[in-house]
Amino acid sequence: MFCIVSFIVLSILGIFSASNRRLAREALDCVFRRLTLRPCNTGFDEKMKAKILGVVITRSERAAAFLNKRFEVLAWIFFVILMASSIMGVRGLYLFYTTGSCEGLNSPNFCVFDPTGANNEVSSSGVCKANQESQAPLSLEGLDLSSFPERNPDSPDQIVMIACYHCEYSRKAYPLVYSLAEHYGANLIFLHYPVKEPTDYFSRLAYCVYQADPVKFWDFNEAMFSGKKEQLDDPAYIQSMLTGLGLDAFGIDNCTSSLQTRQAVDAQLKEIARSGFYGTPTVFIGKEALVGPKPYRVYAIALKGLLYWLK
Amino acid sequence: MDIQKIRQDFPLLQEGGGKKPVLYFDNACQSLRPLAVIEAVERYYREQSACSGRSMHHLGEAVSHAVEEARAGMQKFLGAARKEEIIFTRNTTEGINLVANSLAWQPGDVVVLSDKEHNSNLIPWQMLARRRGVEIRVCPSLPDNTFDLEAFQKLLDGRVRLAAFGHTANLDGVSVPAAEIVKIAHRAGALVLLDAAQSAPHRQINVKTLDVDFLALSGHKMLGPSGTGVLYGKYALLEKMEPFLVGGDTVASSTYTTCEFLPPPEKFEAGLQNYAGIIGLAAAARYLQAVGFNAIQKQEEEINTFLTRELSSIPGLKLIGPADPRLRGGIFTFYIEGVDSHRIALMLDQMANIQTRSGQHCVHSWFNARGLRGSVRASAYFYNTLAEAETLAASLTKIRKVV
Ligand SMILES: Cc1ncc(COP(=O)(O)O)c(C=O)c1O
Repeated sequence: MFCIVSFIVLSILGIFSASNRRLAREALDCVFRRLTLRPCNTGFDEKMKAKILGVVITRSERAAAFLNKRFEVLAWIFFVILMASSIMGVRGLYLFYTTGSCEGLNSPNFCVFDPTGANNEVSSSGVCKANQESQAPLSLEGLDLSSFPERNPDSPDQIVMIACYHCEYSRKAYPLVYSLAEHYGANLIFLHYPVKEPTDYFSRLAYCVYQADPVKFWDFNEAMFSGKKEQLDDPAYIQSMLTGLGLDAFGIDNCTSSLQTRQAVDAQLKEIARSGFYGTPTVFIGKEALVGPKPYRVYAIALKGLLYWLK
Repeated sequence: MDIQKIRQDFPLLQEGGGKKPVLYFDNACQSLRPLAVIEAVERYYREQSACSGRSMHHLGEAVSHAVEEARAGMQKFLGAARKEEIIFTRNTTEGINLVANSLAWQPGDVVVLSDKEHNSNLIPWQMLARRRGVEIRVCPSLPDNTFDLEAFQKLLDGRVRLAAFGHTANLDGVSVPAAEIVKIAHRAGALVLLDAAQSAPHRQINVKTLDVDFLALSGHKMLGPSGTGVLYGKYALLEKMEPFLVGGDTVASSTYTTCEFLPPPEKFEAGLQNYAGIIGLAAAARYLQAVGFNAIQKQEEEINTFLTRELSSIPGLKLIGPADPRLRGGIFTFYIEGVDSHRIALMLDQMANIQTRSGQHCVHSWFNARGLRGSVRASAYFYNTLAEAETLAASLTKIRKVV
């Protein structure tokens, strides 16, 4: 057992030093002999045991005596811990690769590969907070998204993105999601959700732009997500942006203040709130809900599987 | 002897470059080398680096001169009658093999060995037994591992051609009474070979006074370069012996079917020799003579007396050899029942940079006959200090508490 533990540990240490590599080779020889039920005649385990004891004894004789007596048991315990932590490490790495979190999709627990937790950060308030507390699973099942802006309705692949023009994390995720949908020709369904109170207006604006021109809506969306977000608070900027896109800024402005628009948008927001989402950005791909700005690969894997880059 | 001044001569005993000095207690395997030897070897490579005895150019002549000087130096070191009695070898093992393969053996001839010979003084005779029908007789030691002259005498009959003994045993440091052995053997018409691997580094040897017929030593155990050695043989015997290794430099002339061998020592020194080593070995012999064997023995005895006193009280520790440290030179060999000897040696190394030898020390026959697995051997030399011995004793005491 000790040989196996040593081999693993020394192989890792061997990355840094040649003498450890030499010992790792000896350990491997020993492992091989153990596996073929021959005695470890390299004397490797005895050698390592003596070396370890030699180090420990200079610090504590009692610890050395204990180690000497219980060496094999301790090696077993160490092995189990090592194996468990290696399995957890590999699992964490795999989950991080596929979901952006070490402990599975949207897990906010600490992850060494994403120490600041950036992949799971969301903007939330109001309904979102309530949803978060209820901890209901996120799902689009039974929701009517027919009035939501969509880009490629005939595609078998569907991406539903709930984002907020004014929010940092949404702004980070949108270009990735958009280019993913573009690349694979997926149907992108989009809804601005005003997690920040004063941005209700943007929901109506988006609604009206889509009503006015479903194609130019996507240029509008891009313009809203790029540039400086402070500009969004300037009505003159919005006006000129709409005009710049060849849209009827005046007509859209009127539309945003109409009662019918308010009702339609409210209905949309209520509908999407039923999905249980608790912050932006939330991206539904297939049955999965990806909350927070994930790396591109995570969205792509959700859409096309692990081998997305081959497709 | 100013031990601190002497220690300055040994690079491995110096601190520096992030390295701690070693506590070297494996002198029976190889000794450390002083600067005088290192520099002599380096000088050859830097300034001479040519063949001896073959080339007429001035470099060749310088090497020939240096090698002959070295031979004369070793003659003086051993008190030999003539420098032609000094044959340079690679080590003790080669010297013993040379005698085993060069004497004219008859089937039924007997070789007497002790019961604790190093493999180098056992296997060559076993081969001889296998190939030439020579018989080996083992002379048992007394219970305390010292030589049993009576038992030896009993083994001598008209068939014994040679008695080959370790002058000092690497197992336990015990020396045999060489002068008496030679007298008794000669009286019985037998020759005597002394394996001086462990004696030449530690005590004055005079082959003439001893009247020994052959004596083999290794340079690397007496401060000399690795792979150097000397076989001393009485000239009259060497003259009659057939060479063992043959080829270049062993003959005066040859035809396609015959050759004419050179006289000793040339006929035994086949092929190009280790000139740097030979020159270094002579430097080592000079160094030892300058230190003086009385001082060397005194220092070793002091250390071994200390070690024996301190270590004998460790519970379960079994000393190999006689209790009296004065009978064991600089060697303290022990085992602790139930504890692997390699573990002890490795722990000593890890704990305090103490270098000892563990295992069966090439005396497998002795261990096997007693069912023992191995032992740890601490072998001191004149540059070891009492402070080092104290560290060794303290470390062993600690280890014993743990294992
Ligand atoms: C007593 C004795 N004889 C012979 C030898 C062999 O010496 P070498 O290996 O230098 O030939 C040794 C080496 O340890 C020895 O101690």
